[in-house]
Amino acid sequence: MNKELEHKFVSELQDNQNIVHKVCTLYTNDRDSHNDLFQEITIQLFKAYPKFRGEAKFSTWMYRVALNTAITLYRKSKKRVDTQDYESVIFKIKADEYDETEEQQLKLMYKAVRQLGDIDKALVFLYLEDKDYTEISETLGISEVNARVKMNRIKTKLKTILNP
Amino acid sequence: MTDELELLKRDWKKKGTDLPQLSYDEIHKMIWKKSSSIVKWILIISILEFTLPQLLIFVPSVGDVMKIYDHIGVSNYLFVLSLIIYAVALYYIFQFYRRFKEISVLDNSKNLMRKIIKTRKTVKHYIIFSLSMIMVTIIIMLIGVYLNEDITQIVPELKESLEKVPPDKLRTTLMLTIGIFGLVFTLCMGGVYFLLYGLLLRKLNKNYAELRQLEF
Repeated sequence: MNKELEHKFVSELQDNQNIVHKVCTLYTNDRDSHNDLFQEITIQLFKAYPKFRGEAKFSTWMYRVALNTAITLYRKSKKRVDTQDYESVIFKIKADEYDETEEQQLKLMYKAVRQLGDIDKALVFLYLEDKDYTEISETLGISEVNARVKMNRIKTKLKTILNP
Repeated sequence: MTDELELLKRDWKKKGTDLPQLSYDEIHKMIWKKSSSIVKWILIISILEFTLPQLLIFVPSVGDVMKIYDHIGVSNYLFVLSLIIYAVALYYIFQFYRRFKEISVLDNSKNLMRKIIKTRKTVKHYIIFSLSMIMVTIIIMLIGVYLNEDITQIVPELKESLEKVPPDKLRTTLMLTIGIFGLVFTLCMGGVYFLLYGLLLRKLNKNYAELRQLEF
């Protein structure tokens, strides 16, 4: 791969790195794993980059590669470090922006989302990123109807986790 | 609940400012790091599985075993068998390569998982084939020992001491030894292999099952 392409890739990834960081925060429990997954996604993106050729928006293409890496290719490290510290760093919820109940609610929501399975997380992630059901179904390889059904089930699941 | 998810969405969009920001150099350094994806592990393990049994032939003690085959009088049959084994192995290596090439991170998640599992299955079938061929070899040896008229010939170095043992007893002992050794060896290889295979693909199988279940 030539230098120009390499430079273009790194700049584009730098501009869009939030997408990858968000995937990493959902799928990992500590800072080390976060960096590890970020690195693996970067490698996979870079390997696939010559095939990208600007047909879609760089960010659209990133969602697929990042999620595929997190769900399928990445091997989780065994150690499960306590998530509390990590959560408070990554999901820093600003007290001045929300009233206390809302903040409490958000904390519980994030915690509940992180308890979901890999596939459920992917759906929630795409939903939070404002993707429509067509894109969600195309990314995961399921039908649109099933994506909707699954999303409804996740909502119920989250409800159960929040109000046991 | 929907309201809560909407609340989460609003907050999610503001997240950008809290996330770590990597510099150009930090990202640039990453792109040349080695991948540790399961696809890479599958490739490494599969290559080992295809080559290790072939390398065994170069171990000196295996050469001695060849002599024993000769003494038992089954080396011709085993030669034909090994030709078949090589032909089948070549076929599997070709299949594996073709399927491995099809794996693309740009596919949708379900297809990606399906292709990885398919690639892995090729190796799994090859392993099952190899293990059964070990069993066939053992069976050929057992038949060889059973039909051999002078079994003291099998290990010429021990001919003298072997002659002291009644031939029938020697035959039974030898057949039992080969049989039990063969069985234990095959079971151990199979056990190690399927344990490794299971551990590596546990997460993938679970996620794939979940996506597939949706489509029924």
